[in-house]
Amino acid sequence: MGAILELENISKQFPGVKALDDVRFDMAAGEVHALLGENGAGKSTLIKIISGVYKQDGGTIRLDGETVSFNTPREAQQRGIATIYQELSLYPELTVAENIFMGHAPRRKLGPIEVLDWGAANRRAQEILASLNIHDLDVTRKIGTLTVGNRQRVEIAKALSLNARILIMDEPTAALTEADVERLFNIVRLLRERGVGIIYISHRLHEVFELADRVTVLRDGQYVGTKPVSETSEDDLVSMMVGRTIDNLFPKLETEVGKPVLEIRSLWRKPLTRGVSFQLRAGEIVGLAGLVGSGRSEVAQVIFGINPAESGEILIDGKPVTIKHPGQAMNHGIAYVPEDRGTQGLVRQMRIRENVSLSVLKAIRSGLFINRKQERSLATSMIKQLNIRAYSTEQVVNKLSGGNQQKVVVSKWLASKPRILIMDEPTRGIDVGAKAEIHRLMSELAREGLAVLMISSELPEILGMSDRILVMRGGQVVAEFSRQEATQERIAAAMMSETAGNGAAKSETMMIGESETA
Amino acid sequence: MAVTERPSQLTEQSNPIVSRLRAVVLSKEGILFLIMIAAMLILSLLTDKFLTTNNLLNQLRLVTEIGLMALPMTFIIITGGIDLSVGSIFGLSAIVMGFLWQDSGWPLELAIIMCMVVGTTAGFMNGLFIVRVGVPPLIMTLATLALYRGMALGVSEARSARGFPDWFFDLGQRQFLGIPSQLWILLIAAIIAGIVLARTPFGRGIYAMGNNELGARFSGIPVRLYKLAIYTFSGFMAGLAGYIFTSRISTTRADMGTGLELDVIAAVVLGGTSINGGSGSIVGTMIGLILIQLLKNGLLLGGIKGDATIVIIGAILILAILINNLVQRRTGGD
Repeated sequence: MGAILELENISKQFPGVKALDDVRFDMAAGEVHALLGENGAGKSTLIKIISGVYKQDGGTIRLDGETVSFNTPREAQQRGIATIYQELSLYPELTVAENIFMGHAPRRKLGPIEVLDWGAANRRAQEILASLNIHDLDVTRKIGTLTVGNRQRVEIAKALSLNARILIMDEPTAALTEADVERLFNIVRLLRERGVGIIYISHRLHEVFELADRVTVLRDGQYVGTKPVSETSEDDLVSMMVGRTIDNLFPKLETEVGKPVLEIRSLWRKPLTRGVSFQLRAGEIVGLAGLVGSGRSEVAQVIFGINPAESGEILIDGKPVTIKHPGQAMNHGIAYVPEDRGTQGLVRQMRIRENVSLSVLKAIRSGLFINRKQERSLATSMIKQLNIRAYSTEQVVNKLSGGNQQKVVVSKWLASKPRILIMDEPTRGIDVGAKAEIHRLMSELAREGLAVLMISSELPEILGMSDRILVMRGGQVVAEFSRQEATQERIAAAMMSETAGNGAAKSETMMIGESETA
Repeated sequence: MAVTERPSQLTEQSNPIVSRLRAVVLSKEGILFLIMIAAMLILSLLTDKFLTTNNLLNQLRLVTEIGLMALPMTFIIITGGIDLSVGSIFGLSAIVMGFLWQDSGWPLELAIIMCMVVGTTAGFMNGLFIVRVGVPPLIMTLATLALYRGMALGVSEARSARGFPDWFFDLGQRQFLGIPSQLWILLIAAIIAGIVLARTPFGRGIYAMGNNELGARFSGIPVRLYKLAIYTFSGFMAGLAGYIFTSRISTTRADMGTGLELDVIAAVVLGGTSINGGSGSIVGTMIGLILIQLLKNGLLLGGIKGDATIVIIGAILILAILINNLVQRRTGGD
């Protein structure tokens, strides 16, 4: 196979960090080439160089054997390189066809002037979608009304409308339901048959085995190796990615379970907290399972005072307390690592130092003022303790990889020295290495006597980490299992029960089978 | 202050003092300061009446009221909000003071206190509706811009209050230790506001809210309380400014301060505070305030006609913002 795209000795330096160092990559027409690596390994930088967003500091890019240099994403697009990013870049207020032909709509003559020909655009959009075996999408609908899966199909159609020969897909399945994932795979296979080269980035290794022909692994900005998928295994890839073998993704330590620290009694906050009661004991990790929309995060947010309870009791150390806002919850030693780190967990435009100290500003004062020295040393020690990959405490959080961002959120809450730690999807969207680290940390904290409530959609995580498991459905706790009695089947049955038959339940079943690389 | 201390990422390895200096000079505030110095030099070539201590001090006297209101406005704009009603609060507070004294026979001292009470209450009402009812600040203060002005007109019935006793003019028209009296108030208020914004948990919370309000709330920052505080503070400062203004011009009318909110916002935004929230500083606001006033005055003294003055000022403001954006992008500032 002749390579359509070749990259050699690519390096890229950002202030204080070498993002890519002597990396190579090549792909043939009609190949699905997976790009793997932990968060921060340099995958995103590499695809941004290929798609013209960044310019490499050193090395060459060859397209069909010819050395090229892209100054803008548009130049790369014109050479047939299209990218589908994690955050989809469509205009929600425009129609499917308008989005597909944004910037290159067909034109027609209207008297002396040229105008955009939306009739033709609609027809061509329909044709492109049909060529992808997509027949159920109305091209005149607004993007904002579509599901994530459909939006992604529009993105792909957009890339094809630009005659893309190389398609870069950055974690395309991260937000998809199981049915959508299957459709996506079919489309990818279709494109491969047509000779389109696809660079596929995903954290889900089983997808790589299902879809890819070859796989290239990066680690810490360096090239580790390229292998045909048929000659490798999951364990092999994981050890290439992390540079060591992860012998245990769920390092659960035996702990001494102590006295109840937090107890809630028939807590109500409509619509999704309906008479919830449970206890949390010192040294214990309690897993809270349930489908999306079952009320898991909602209960956590009631306890943390984001949406205070309408009725019911919260007891700390057996004494009833009032929690009307997060500040009060924090005073009682409660910390909440929220589900969405981008909007809830972090102020991403601010520095690591400023994020870490945000929960303890009052505690690190000297007089009226923030003690800068103390603030800096707090951030430094957290970076060390949680092994956050950053060049300084002054780095803006936005520039960190997902796993490292999550560690910043966790360190913010560790800084508040909580006694009760609620973690909502603590490892969503982060790589195996960071995941194992967060699990180990959680386990150590529990052994030090913290009470941990862990909300997770991943059953292997729930099973692997919890001393006790609560299952929620419809805003209520419907089942409780000890670590010994819990199995995937029993939890899944409790989560869905006989009444569950809606779309949400269906999409969630995917998560049950998914165990990443455990 | 906090924002100017951004260590330049490009000079990480060089001498810390040099790189620190470089960071200060290349910060938004630093560039703006250089622009101001350049403008002053050019204006002083146009006329020798411009660059005199007397003239400069007098110009500062004239902007004290705007400056006082620009302090809370900086906080508000950093949180991503806006207060359009300050001009109206300014007018309402002053007219209430004037008529409490002139018509209702209150002691003037008490009327002055009421001036600030009225301002504070008006600001508090803004904050309360923004926080409790969730009205966007732009809408709420646009409404009270009209409402408070209407109340001022109602109180005054198109009359003015005048004939204040001589001591009343001490603050607005005289000097204290060789400097216009009201300038002391602005100076002290600006220093306090600057330190609060840059160094205290409250100030940090203001920046956090402006960048990500939900994230700030999830971190335990009392977002609503802080908002209520800054809008109330804004009302108080407008009341104080109304009193100082009345003392300066000796009389008060209901249409006083019409359109003043735009001058206040212009100073804040020119000073580098992002209208989208999240960044800005008191130092910047003060430089912005002074730059605008010096341009007005210098061009006037230089004999440039009124209409042309406005055009030149507008052009220079745009230029200043462009230069700053360019420098910030070059140096990797955000």
